[in-house]
Amino acid sequence: MNVEKIRNEFPILKKNIIYFDNACMPLRPRCVIDKINEYYSEYPSCAGRSHHKLGIRLTKEVNMARDSIKKLIGAKKSEEIIFTKNATEAINLIAHSLKFNVVVTSDREHNSNLLPWQKFEHRVVKSNLDNTFNLDDFSEKVVGADLVSIVYTSNLDGYTLPVREIIEIAHNNGALVLLDAAQTVPNKKIDVRKLDVDFLVFSGHKMLGPTGIGVLYGKENLLNDLNPFILGGETVYDSTYDSFKLEKLPHKFEAGLQNYAGIVGLGAAAKFLMKVGLDNIEKHEKMLKQHIDVEGLEIIGYLGESGIFNFNIPGLNSHEVAMMLDSSKNIMVRSGAHCLHSWFNSKNIKGSVRASFYLYNTIEEVKLFNEELKKLKKLVK
Amino acid sequence: MLCLVAWIIFGILGIFSVRYRSLAKESFDCVFRRLLFKKCESNFNEKMKSSIIGNLMKFSPRTARGVYKNYEIFSWIFVILFVVSMVWGAVGAYNLIVYDNCAGPNADPDQCIFTPEEEIVSCGDPLCESGHCEKCGDECDCGDCSG
Repeated sequence: MNVEKIRNEFPILKKNIIYFDNACMPLRPRCVIDKINEYYSEYPSCAGRSHHKLGIRLTKEVNMARDSIKKLIGAKKSEEIIFTKNATEAINLIAHSLKFNVVVTSDREHNSNLLPWQKFEHRVVKSNLDNTFNLDDFSEKVVGADLVSIVYTSNLDGYTLPVREIIEIAHNNGALVLLDAAQTVPNKKIDVRKLDVDFLVFSGHKMLGPTGIGVLYGKENLLNDLNPFILGGETVYDSTYDSFKLEKLPHKFEAGLQNYAGIVGLGAAAKFLMKVGLDNIEKHEKMLKQHIDVEGLEIIGYLGESGIFNFNIPGLNSHEVAMMLDSSKNIMVRSGAHCLHSWFNSKNIKGSVRASFYLYNTIEEVKLFNEELKKLKKLVK
Repeated sequence: MLCLVAWIIFGILGIFSVRYRSLAKESFDCVFRRLLFKKCESNFNEKMKSSIIGNLMKFSPRTARGVYKNYEIFSWIFVILFVVSMVWGAVGAYNLIVYDNCAGPNADPDQCIFTPEEEIVSCGDPLCESGHCEKCGDECDCGDCSG
């Protein structure tokens, strides 16, 4: 993987910044920006319903984007790909379209995959002491559950849960599985068919795509049985004053005019990621993580191989660290509770600093980061 | 305590630019809470502190460390200096308005750059005739044209 060549694809990197806030939102490559611009300048129309040149072109582009997403995650059919606003909306779509009695989650869920389930009987699997997933506790809690809605790769520390085992155990107990793959799809090659997962959600903005676009993948038979919780234009093919007939997949879930610029931009992002190679990206992130100097830092969560690194400097507030890194060397990291308030509250930790690496980050940047951390550690010595 | 200084500065800048109004609001919230002996909730102090330390780190990590460790002391010194200079400035403005001399009524007018200069009657002025000023009674310096 040629990092220098990749960096040239990201116009904002010319501004001399060190961007380590990729778990929140990575930067956008030129091809994504151009694709969004292309929509507004060449075919700013309605897809699916307008039978003129612009509408036909857009419909084709939307279908191509759906195909790219299908390829990216190894889905069987394009119809299994539903465009949503983001992963949060995709999770809410499932939470509002099906009635569950018991839902199981892990103890490290993003608010997006926690709050929608609190209206049901909600069981939380406690992690092991080393912050890895506790399969024994899970095996006990999954009994009698309807749904296991669990994070694939944690935005806390980049820990990837043993989802194959989780899915197998859940299915053996008659529960459906929803994976929050917002941190997985951008960094790791996944195959929904091999995993045999029922639903999988992710956001476009975490995988080099535009904001305001996300994806819900679902097995075709399950999606067919679901009723959409938002109704309107595009979701029906006929209606009377008292009734309507729902469209087929995927349209019955895509109510109203869609975020077409987002969809085509997401398609371009998916192509870009596949071109670079998700295996290469994963390897690159692991390599960068090895260069982190952890001495004197308080590690938050699990210190694995992934590109997410969560820590605190004893004596310094996480926001202070983030702001000082930004002021001193333009190093951009995230600070706070990372939408994982439940996890931080359970551990009585106020917050942390999260540095997350991606395909355009370099060893030199990580070394400079280490040097700045050393200076910050000295502040409180 | 720097939020007090920030509030006044951003408040003045906020009159001219929207950009500073939110900062003025944030710093006021901080000042208000400090007056009630409560903790500032807006992270305003944190932001200022981090920005100052971060910028100092670029040039001298040692200085940055010194400022970080004694930030509260530096803040108080800065606030006291700011208040003293504000009071001094207000007294000067009062003197300037009342006595035409910002240094005070009995002070040498040269000490105050804002003191209005005395009116010089020039040769071309109708008040200066034959080297004598009708207005003040003094002689005027009319040079060659006095003859």
